[in-house]
Amino acid sequence: RAQPKKKKKVDVKKEQAQKERMKKKLKKLEKAAPELIPIEDFITPLKYSESNRVRSLPPLSPEEAERRVLLLKKWCLFKQKQDEAEKKAIKALVESQQEALKELQLESEELYQAAIRRDEGLFPFEREGPSYTPPLPGYDPPEGKCIDTTKVYTQ
Amino acid sequence: SAAARRPWRLFGAMCLMRLPRITQPLEKEEEEVAALMEQIELEKSLYSDHEMRKLEEEEQLKRKMESLYDEDEARGKTVIMAQDLEEKWEQKFLRFKAAPRITDADKSNDRTSLNRKLDSNLMLLVKQKIGNQELWLLPQVEWQPGETLRSTAERAMAIFLGDHIQAKVLGNAPYGIYKYKFPRAIRTENNVGAKVFFFKAFLQSSDLSQADLKADYLWVTKKELGDYLKSEYLKKVNRFLLD
Repeated sequence: RAQPKKKKKVDVKKEQAQKERMKKKLKKLEKAAPELIPIEDFITPLKYSESNRVRSLPPLSPEEAERRVLLLKKWCLFKQKQDEAEKKAIKALVESQQEALKELQLESEELYQAAIRRDEGLFPFEREGPSYTPPLPGYDPPEGKCIDTTKVYTQ
Repeated sequence: SAAARRPWRLFGAMCLMRLPRITQPLEKEEEEVAALMEQIELEKSLYSDHEMRKLEEEEQLKRKMESLYDEDEARGKTVIMAQDLEEKWEQKFLRFKAAPRITDADKSNDRTSLNRKLDSNLMLLVKQKIGNQELWLLPQVEWQPGETLRSTAERAMAIFLGDHIQAKVLGNAPYGIYKYKFPRAIRTENNVGAKVFFFKAFLQSSDLSQADLKADYLWVTKKELGDYLKSEYLKKVNRFLLD
């Protein structure tokens, strides 16, 4: 009758010792810094670093290089003019609104207060942008299934 | 002096705009630079899987032609070449016909239709009787005490287009003002002139077949406004319209 008692004690002690060892291991793992999730866009797959993948094109002629530089300068000027025109238009818009509000204030204070109140229903404002061609009436798009293959990492 | 009658009558007008549905055509410089950017991208890129496959198959074909023995290749199975795939895709693309960018309404210059000039903003103009003249204006209606100017403008829109119009009014504040004095014949101490406050809204319902339009109306672009509006009115309206 003494033997089963020994077994229990020894088992209990062994189990407790095991649990403590597991807890120590868990603590060590938790203390270590979490592994950083790799950004898949920044890692080029190895198959793209093979040399036979390099495109073979004729080298750039000096006239072509000249033409490109001049075109980029023209583009710079074009974009500057476009930006200035946009800013001018926005300035005119704001001035027009300020003038309207000034006149309204001269007319009636309560209407002015109602006008400068914030419009809560304006945002969030959603709108689909323009496409290259208008939607085709009665178009039936072909059926297909989209299989999502994104890898999900857990820390 | 809150009860003193102010000499100006107030009107609220709504500039309802249908936003563009298609992109505007590119300018010459934009097209040139877009072509250049594509060229540079091509030069800096590597071959893709599809192009590698095409190159390998070309090599195989060349070897087949030159060596004339095709014991390796002739195993009885038909191989789909990358070139065939490309031709198949090209055929499929050519069979698809997209909707035209220039619609019938453009060709017939039907200014009452909303399907015109899909790449620019269209504004609503209605013919209204002011005094004893019939003028083309942005829909306006007189302000009644007890409502804000924004609701006056919304009422103007509802009067001319019916109640089922879905429009997003851009804020509570007016965008512009047009002030004018009445002609001397009807000018009195208490009734010097009128102030028309303009509000802007974007049209959201795309078809107006259910709207019962009560007067003559037109949908015009900013450039065409000059054909219909008087010069002073046009100047004030042009200030708050971005093209």
